[in-house]
Amino acid sequence: MTAPEPVERTPGPAWARRRAAARRAWGEFTRHRAGVLGLGVLVLVIALAALAPLITDADGVDVTRATGGRLEPPGGRYWLGTDESGRSVLLLVLWGARISLLVGLSATLLSIAIGTVVGILTGHFGGWGSALLMRLTDFFLVLPSLVLAIALSTVIGPGVGTIVLAIGVTSWPSAARLVRAQTLGVEARPYIERSRALGGGHLHVIGKHVLPGVLPLVLVNTTLAVGTAIVAESTLAFLGLGDPVAISWGSMLRSASNSGAVTAGAWWYLVPPGLAIAVVVLAFTLCGRAMESVLNPRLRER
Amino acid sequence: MTDALTTVEPPAAATPRGGGGGTLRYVLSKVGAALISLGLIVVLGFVLFRVLLPGDPVRTLTRGAPVTPEGAAALEREYGFDLPLWGQFTRYLGNLAHGDLDRSLVFKVPVAQKIGERLGPTLLLVGVGTLIAVVLGLWLGTRTAWRRGSRFDRTATGIALALWSAPTFWLGLVLLTATGGLFPSGGITYPDTPPDFLSQALDTAHHMVLPTITLVAVVYAQYQLVMRSSLVEEMHAEHLLTARAKGLRDDEVRRRHAVPNALLPTVTLVFLHLGLVVSGAITVETVFSWPGLGLLTFEALRFPDYPLLQGTFLVLAAAVVVMNLVADLLLRVLDPRVRAS
Amino acid sequence: MTLLQLRDLHVRYPGEHAVAGVDLALAAGETLGLAGESGCGKSTLAMSVLRLLPPTAEVDGEILFDGEDVSTMSWGRLRAVRWAGASVVFQGAMHALNPVHRIGEQIAEPIRVHSPKTPPARVRERVAELLAQVELPADRAGAYPHQLSGGQKQRVMIAMALACDPKLVIADEPTTALDVVVQAQVLDVLTRLVTDHGIGLLLISHDLAVLGATCGRLAVMRRGRVVEEGPAHRVITAPTHPYTRTLAAAFPTIGDPASRYNPATAGEPPVAGTEAVGEELLTIRDLRVTFGATAAVAGVDLSVRAGEIVALVGQSGSGKTTLARTVLGLRKPDSGQVLFDGKPVPTSTKGLKAHRKQVQLVLQDPTSALNPRHTVHEAVAEGLRIHGVRGDEADLVRAALTDAELRPAEKYLGSLPHELSGGQRQRVVIAGALALSLRLLVADEPVASLDASVRGEVLALLLRLRARLGLATLVITHDLGLAWNIADRVAVMHRGVIVEHGPVEDVLLRPHHDYTRSLLAAVPRPDAGRTAEPRADQGV
Repeated sequence: MTAPEPVERTPGPAWARRRAAARRAWGEFTRHRAGVLGLGVLVLVIALAALAPLITDADGVDVTRATGGRLEPPGGRYWLGTDESGRSVLLLVLWGARISLLVGLSATLLSIAIGTVVGILTGHFGGWGSALLMRLTDFFLVLPSLVLAIALSTVIGPGVGTIVLAIGVTSWPSAARLVRAQTLGVEARPYIERSRALGGGHLHVIGKHVLPGVLPLVLVNTTLAVGTAIVAESTLAFLGLGDPVAISWGSMLRSASNSGAVTAGAWWYLVPPGLAIAVVVLAFTLCGRAMESVLNPRLRER
Repeated sequence: MTDALTTVEPPAAATPRGGGGGTLRYVLSKVGAALISLGLIVVLGFVLFRVLLPGDPVRTLTRGAPVTPEGAAALEREYGFDLPLWGQFTRYLGNLAHGDLDRSLVFKVPVAQKIGERLGPTLLLVGVGTLIAVVLGLWLGTRTAWRRGSRFDRTATGIALALWSAPTFWLGLVLLTATGGLFPSGGITYPDTPPDFLSQALDTAHHMVLPTITLVAVVYAQYQLVMRSSLVEEMHAEHLLTARAKGLRDDEVRRRHAVPNALLPTVTLVFLHLGLVVSGAITVETVFSWPGLGLLTFEALRFPDYPLLQGTFLVLAAAVVVMNLVADLLLRVLDPRVRAS
Repeated sequence: MTLLQLRDLHVRYPGEHAVAGVDLALAAGETLGLAGESGCGKSTLAMSVLRLLPPTAEVDGEILFDGEDVSTMSWGRLRAVRWAGASVVFQGAMHALNPVHRIGEQIAEPIRVHSPKTPPARVRERVAELLAQVELPADRAGAYPHQLSGGQKQRVMIAMALACDPKLVIADEPTTALDVVVQAQVLDVLTRLVTDHGIGLLLISHDLAVLGATCGRLAVMRRGRVVEEGPAHRVITAPTHPYTRTLAAAFPTIGDPASRYNPATAGEPPVAGTEAVGEELLTIRDLRVTFGATAAVAGVDLSVRAGEIVALVGQSGSGKTTLARTVLGLRKPDSGQVLFDGKPVPTSTKGLKAHRKQVQLVLQDPTSALNPRHTVHEAVAEGLRIHGVRGDEADLVRAALTDAELRPAEKYLGSLPHELSGGQRQRVVIAGALALSLRLLVADEPVASLDASVRGEVLALLLRLRARLGLATLVITHDLGLAWNIADRVAVMHRGVIVEHGPVEDVLLRPHHDYTRSLLAAVPRPDAGRTAEPRADQGV
């Protein structure tokens, strides 16, 4: 063997490769107009929600300091009218975004975390433990999640934490199924057998091959699941399972429905929070679908 | 030569047909799994509403309203709270076996009786709604997949995505506001409708319009999107090339070889997500005061009436499990690919 | 009379000129073989005859079928020609059949399409007739594709192709993925039917031997062009184009001394290196491995000495792959022993890890054996990292790549698997094994998925590694020519037991067991002009 000549190009530790892959993926993502639109909406909404205390006066959402009349229609002073206590609907929608997004994100993180762990474990390890866990997953998957969430939150008592827990605990099974399927797909590839033949243990196989193979899917699934979680939050809050004082889009709709806004024809109180939910959820969905087609070129024509 | 043909191939492949034994084992395993699920639901119902329930049971039952010591003792006895936990569980199982779900706190009648009264309206609404949603969703899903990228596809898929993104109850509220009294805002019939069948049926249909539209709007979108992606996937299948080579017209290729193959897994998914319909029913019934199980759940939730909540939980969850079992067995008959795995 | 005539045919995909000016002619009743490696455009050419290419394909030139230009036909006329005029036997019957329709329906479908007035009873009769022609019982019409074996599915495809009495059958790799013996049977059925009915056959394959055994004339394609054309016998025995010569040399004639210890390579021929053979390294005694009720390995004795190359030959399902996994400790034996260096293969996690530092696996398909996200450097370094091998990782990786004859190593370090050719990928896998203190290589069909021209190079590498590093290799294969090319000894496995073993010359030239004889008989002989018939006496 001849002495190897000095190398100039080091094989770029994984980072350079990942950066290049990320750049490629981003380039691909920007080709999906709907996805870019969704991302733009999300960035805007998240920024507005985060900056709400800076750009608006928190006093405006305090019932005792409300300045407007009851259910005033939109006008020069209140662009989107007022609610039954005389607060600006626009201001409420802005502040409601904070709880809705927070609950949506944290519930999703909870459910995806459970789902990913269960999915990888059941996909990687065989045996009866795995089979049992899978049966349990199937059971929870079939169970009507709203019914279970209602049952859970009546037991724990209403509140923001309850909603996060109820959504998180009821929505993990679909993530688990998806991650498991993907894990099984990766595990069936011969490079896993090669890795085991090279002496790699469970941790090595999971850490080096399975997890990196599953993560992109998890990311997509998270994006799509946030939307579902935000809708679930609004439903639970509408049914009265949320924190009665916290302002979220769901609790606004509950107040609107309870205060007779429907019969009074006060559409300005009813439409904005619902539209906000629909727009944000749609934005998450469009983003997620664009990411999905970046990952799986066969879906590109969807 | 002829003998060799059938002998050399691997023995595993030589087994003819799926075999009757395989079918029986499949049915037994599915029924067994469903029974286990039902058992888990029963246990979960007990754990949620007996074990996890915080605080003093009588205070929970009466929501802190003042009761005499005798009254409290009578309540404890009636609901079995005087028994140890294990005793409560056996009492619960025994009662379930007789179809006894305790007495509702709000309605002061047996929970089972109340659920029985509310079953009909829910079946009517969910049945009609699901039927329309399945037909509409699968048809639109097929059409959009065939003409993917067209303006029709973009519009229909966009609408489906938007409807899927909006909360069910909000759609209901907006519909109510927008139609402004054109349709009744709640209930199943007006009290003054003549009792003859035709008048009652017409009045029920009139009351059903808005709840059904709302339920369909949310559910069909999901079916459409699933059917579309399933068919788009199926249209890459290699056997479609065989069908084209055989001289079939493009529409025949789709109708005979792509759609049936995509339809079967979609139907499975539809059944697997039946819980979604139940969730939809709860919110739709609440918004439109439709006197079904969903509204009953909401009424129980408001009080909160734990025995009634427990009852609706058991019935709704069990219904979904049973429907899934039916779907599994049906699919086995319809889809040979299920038999292969 | 000319049945099919291609004149200056071009097919372009965006960014690819798949077929670049092909002229071919096929007379009625003639058999024409189209040879070439993956990506040479042969399948594209075949699909263009019935205009079955995807819409992105741009076709130029003339395609005359029975004197009519296919490219200008109306849709109605084209549909009439499809299947009734020319039918196709697709590659991989697994996916070419619709999984939710019974095979009877699928065979009947073209009959109903092209002669809609046929009474249903007559259609049923015809389906039974067609099944009988491909030697399948009539009751198989009620079966679904998944209930059939690979060979049976391919027969169904053939029956389907004959359904409308076409003048031309296009068969695209009809026997790839089938075992040697099954392949011989399917080819036999196909050629017999084509000859009996006077049908023209366009047979496409990467395997020159298969084509030589089946076809009257042969055309060799490379990079979208036909480089050589002529009578099959002439093209194979006296090729004029260097590329054809490479292809023809890739599969050796068993018994030909020129190819013994000498796989076809473009570079320097390897040395036999038999003097490297030393002490016994791997000993397998009465090994049994079962899956549920079936015994995959049912009592096997086998040994490999240091520096020795042993070929384990058998069809799929013979248990040879299970045996290989057991040697690496990837499967647990039910009884019997696997001794490495005199000691049993450990069962503890730690012991197994140490064992796998010395014994390594090379899999059939290098494309899937490499993680598509990992660079060559990462793939080769994986074993080093697992075992915490000391030393400069970059140096060790470079050395391993150089050993696997990927030179200069630096050129490949940063590449991802999809940027390499099949042969290069297999070398990366081998380098990954060489990076450890390797003593025994277990290679499971190491060249089965590689193009013919690369096959010899990888086999030569195994011989050179033995000569230079004293590496012992257990090669698992269905390919008797491979054993003839590189192995010292051969063991023939059938249904979980070794039916015959000994030095390569003894077993392959003077076989004792009937099964070995039937395997040898099934190997297509390019110069024989026709497939030799496998013997019927293989048990059960």
